[in-house]
Formats: sequence, C-alpha cells, structure tokens
Amino acid sequence: MADFIQLFVNGLALGSVYALAALGFVIVYSATGVVNFAAGQFVMLGTFSGVAMMVNLGLPWPIGYGAALLAMVAFGMLFFTLVYLPLRASPVVTVIIGTVAVGIILQNAALLGFGSWPFRLTSPLEGVTLDIAGAVITAHAALTVVVTAVLVGLIWLLFYRTALGIGMRAVAQDMEAARLMGLNVNLLLALTWVLAAVLAGIAGLLLGPMWFADVNMGDPIALKAFAATIIGGFGSLPGAIAGGLIVGLTELLGASYISSAYKDLIAFVVMILFLLVRPQGVFGERIQDRG
Amino acid sequence: MDFTRQQFLKLALAASLASIGAGAALAQQGEILVGATVPMTGPLSLTGKQYHNSLRMAEQDINAAGGINGRKVKFVFEDTQASNGTAVNAFMKLSQEVKPSFYFLSSYSTQNLAVSPEVKKIAVPAMYAGGADVVAEGGNEWLFRVRPADSVSAAGMVEAAKLLGAKKPGILFIQNDFGQGGAQIAAKLLEAAGTPVVGMEAYGQNDKDFSAQMLALRSKGADVILMFVYPQDGALLLRQAKMLGMKMPIVTSSAALVPAALQLISPGDLENVSGVVDAYMDPAAGGRMKDFIERYRAAYGIDPDPYGLAYYDGALIMAEGMRKVGTDPKALRDWLAQLRDWKGIGHVYSYDAKGNGVHDLAVVKAKPGTKTFELVKTITVN
Repeated sequence: MADFIQLFVNGLALGSVYALAALGFVIVYSATGVVNFAAGQFVMLGTFSGVAMMVNLGLPWPIGYGAALLAMVAFGMLFFTLVYLPLRASPVVTVIIGTVAVGIILQNAALLGFGSWPFRLTSPLEGVTLDIAGAVITAHAALTVVVTAVLVGLIWLLFYRTALGIGMRAVAQDMEAARLMGLNVNLLLALTWVLAAVLAGIAGLLLGPMWFADVNMGDPIALKAFAATIIGGFGSLPGAIAGGLIVGLTELLGASYISSAYKDLIAFVVMILFLLVRPQGVFGERIQDRG
Repeated sequence: MDFTRQQFLKLALAASLASIGAGAALAQQGEILVGATVPMTGPLSLTGKQYHNSLRMAEQDINAAGGINGRKVKFVFEDTQASNGTAVNAFMKLSQEVKPSFYFLSSYSTQNLAVSPEVKKIAVPAMYAGGADVVAEGGNEWLFRVRPADSVSAAGMVEAAKLLGAKKPGILFIQNDFGQGGAQIAAKLLEAAGTPVVGMEAYGQNDKDFSAQMLALRSKGADVILMFVYPQDGALLLRQAKMLGMKMPIVTSSAALVPAALQLISPGDLENVSGVVDAYMDPAAGGRMKDFIERYRAAYGIDPDPYGLAYYDGALIMAEGMRKVGTDPKALRDWLAQLRDWKGIGHVYSYDAKGNGVHDLAVVKAKPGTKTFELVKTITVN
C-alpha cells in the first residue's frame, strides 16, 4: 500500500506538470487555433529562467521565482509581438510552423547560453519529506500538486468570473464578433500568450527540482502534454487537467504494475485508444462537419 | 635566351608538374590528421566534453614531444550529438573530406555499433570507449577498445554486490545495448554466485522519473540495487532513490560516478553508494596520474574522468604505433593487434583477438558525507 501511495503521489506530481503544460497548449489553441509546438521549450525556458535567477544570479528563492515568472511574462509578450502578430494574417499552418521554428531557436539559444551540461535547481522544500502511511513523499511533489490545484482554481476564476477572462473566451469563440463588440482583441490575444508562457514557466520551475535543468527537457514534456491534451479533449481546460493527470498516473502505475520497459508505450497506447474510441477526449465535444 | 612558344609551354608544364610533386612530398611530411567523432552537444556531451579535452591535451603532448617522427598530429573533431545517425554522418564527413590516418569514436556503444560497418569499409584503425560487448563481438578487426568491456564492468559490480552481502539483488538498467547487455551479464554472474536477481527493471534514455522502477525493485525485496546508467540519468537515479527513501545499498556503473554526474548531486545522495570506475583517479597515486590530473585541471578547470583518460592513453598508443610502423592503416592495425602490456596512465593495455585492450577496473565506495570515493579493490577479468 505504501508503494502505491508513493507512486500515486509521484504520478499526480508528474501529471500536474504535464497538466500545466497542457493547459498552456489548450489556452493558446482555444484562443488562436494554433497548436503551439514550442510548448515543451516554453517549459524548458521556465526552468532555465529559474536557473538564471537562482543558480547564476544567486537570488533568494522568493525573489528568484518571482523574477523568473516576470521573465516568462516578458517572453510571452515578446513571442506575441515578434512571432504571432506578424504571422497572424497568414494561414494558421504558417503560425504553427513559426512555433516549431521558435522551439528550435529557444533550444539552441539555451544551449549557447547555458551549455549542454545540466543544472541542479533545488526546491525551496529541498530535503523535506512527508510520511503518509509508510510512503515517503517529498514535500516538493506535494507542493507541485497543491500549486497546480490552486492554479487551476485561479484560471477557472479568471475565465468564468472576471471580465478579462470572459473577454478572452469571447475572442476564442469568435474573434471578429468580439472585435465588433468593442473588445481589445490584440490585448486579449497578447494576454493569452502571456498566460501560456507563465503556466509553462510555473511548470518548468516545479519540474526543475524533480528533474535536472537540461536544454533537451522540452521534448518529452511536449510529447506528454500533447498526449494529455488528446486524452482530455483538445480545447478543453478541464480536459487538460484530467489528461495530464491520466498521463502522469498511467506512466508511473503502468511502469510499476505492467512493465517498466514499456513505460512510454503504455501512456501513448492510452492516447491512441482515446483517438480510436473517444476522439473528442474525456471532456471534448463531438464536432462534425456537414458535407 | 629566346624561347619558342612550344618550349615555353613545355617549361611551364614541367614547372607545374614539379610543383605538384613537391606539394605531394610536402603533404607527406605535413600534419598527420586524426579524426575524432565525439558527442560535444546534447545529453551525451556530459562525458563527451571530457574526451574532447583529453584528445586536445594528447595532441599538444604528442606534438610537444616531437610529434610523429617530426610530423605533427592534428585532431579534427566532429560532433556526434546524441543520435546514431549523427554519429554516422560525422564519421562519413571525416572519412570523405578529411581522410584521417586514424579515428577516435564516441564512447557510446549504440553509436559505435552504427559506425562500425563504415569503419570496416574504409579499413582504417579506430579506437572507441563504448563498453557493450556486442561491439567487439561484431568481429570488426579495425576497432580497438580503450575501456573495460561491459562484461568486465558487470563482473566488478557483481563483486561489489557480493562485498555488500547481497542476497536478493535487483537490477535497473537503461534500455539500450549497453544497459541490456550489462544487466544480462550481471544477472548471469549473480545467478552463478547463488544469488539470482529478484527483479530487473528498465528505463528509456529520455526518462526522467524512475520511481516506478525503484519501488518495483523494493517491493520485490531487493537488498542491493545494481544500476547500469549514463551520467545524467545515473545522477538523477541516485537523487530520486534518496527522495523515495530507498535505504538499500546501490552499486552503480561507472557513468554515475564521473565528475560530470557528481556535480549534479549532493553528498547525501551518495550515502550507501558503491560502484565501479574504469580507473581509480587519485592524484595521491603520484607519477603520471598526478601529472595528468593536475595538468588537465589547470587546462580545463574541471576534474578529468576515466573516460577522458582512456582516450588520452589511446592517443599515446596511437602515436607510438605511428612512430614505429608509420601511418599505413594495415601496418598500424597489425601493430595494435599485437600490443601487449603497454603501460598507460589508467591501465595496462593488451589487445585480445576481439580488440579489447582493458581488462581491469576499480570497485569504489563513497566516503560518507563527501563526493569523493575510496578504493575498495581492483579486479581483473580476462
């Protein structure tokens, strides 16, 4: 039982990080129709923002985390201004290719800036463990789950209880109608990219102490976040959360109780099963085009 | 003196031919080019950087000592990154554009396996540090290994497990030729010793969370865990083992104990950790070992690792071979194949019929509260 609890909490923590990355995916996709193929590199950038602030500059963690997230805000704005805005009038596939290019640029820029050796980013709760029914849980894993839960709550409040969030949803549903209603569409789109960058930044900062900060860490994250989005339902916020948690738990429980040799395979088989049996995902809606 | 047009053209042609001949003669006396395909970027660069540095140091030392009978050596590097395809491309680029007289290949066995057929095609000797036995079993007479084969490492790890009194060992391994090969050999040796493994768990090269595998081994009652790992995942595994509250001793393959991996973990992560290292690199040994470590530190600002040392030794073997038999590939290959008891800094090298030159390694144990290791014993496997 202790092992199950330990695996379950670790799976939840890992799934929470996937969920945050998937949330960024979904928020951007819902608002712009763009699949952000740089989502993994956004997370990597979040981790390295933490490295830059806390390891390189030696800032204490409360200031370091804040500064890293501010850097992600600036990055989100920069991405919107330099990549999305100039390409917005182009077909959506052009923007998608733009995100691929940005992903490659980010990875190589990180390689040039930080080198290929990984960094150790420690947690504020480094070394603190909790004993739950004989299972040793790191406080950082528990913190990751709690932070994600709080963020999900805040995002729900933003989208369903604030004018800003309702405006962002309006833009997501029909950009032209939103413009005609007097909404500042550009500002709302910029906020969408900033929100995606900040979520990725938080995911990266939470992930750093669990893994090492490594310029190649974005690829596995992007793959899992993509699987989470498919399982949860493309475009669905609750789906991103559910999908992330399903992938995280499937990965760890599957590796332990089925086969560690097929750890990744199990997670992706679940994704393919969803594509075959329920392509709209857990929370997605079935959409059909009439011929 | 008057020249006819015909005489002038003949003279010009003769002068051109003479200059080409002189050029060729100069080229013969010029630098000896040595190709080195090394993972300099990507996740494998954690150790690749060490070979890069060591080979550069060897190049300087060989040239400072008069080169190869008066000719300087020049190492030409190509990056293999972290993929087999890139490793093959890097090798092809060198073999087609630079045409070196000798090669040093990556220390990653999967890359060595991918490149091996190309080495055989061009028939030029190459040294490599990948451990997988399957590379040598392939029967490529142009490949010469400068590190212990995985069967030697596995024997060392099993010896370490025995010293720890393992009754129910478990094995965790990276899922590739190195990890699978090493794990299978260790499992057979453990079974032969009367302590069969209680479980074998695998992980992928890009995996970042190993809790499922480690908890699975713990739930099967493993009292010692043997790990076949690369540097970065090895460090992460040691760290996560402590985060999961794993109390049993861990015996790791050499990659987790190189400086590149150790910089990622804290002394606490090394509590109860043993392992094997290719060579026990302690400046206290004095002599050439002390000199190598100190000069390397001074040149590159980091501690050298045994993988890099293997390449340094390999480069000095190559230089001696070239001095004795020249750069003819066949002559150099044959010289290497008969090399016995060559005293390098890290090992005494003797090549067997499969191109294995190193047959010993060291079992070490972490000193409590530090990131340094003490020598438990050296073992030799023939």
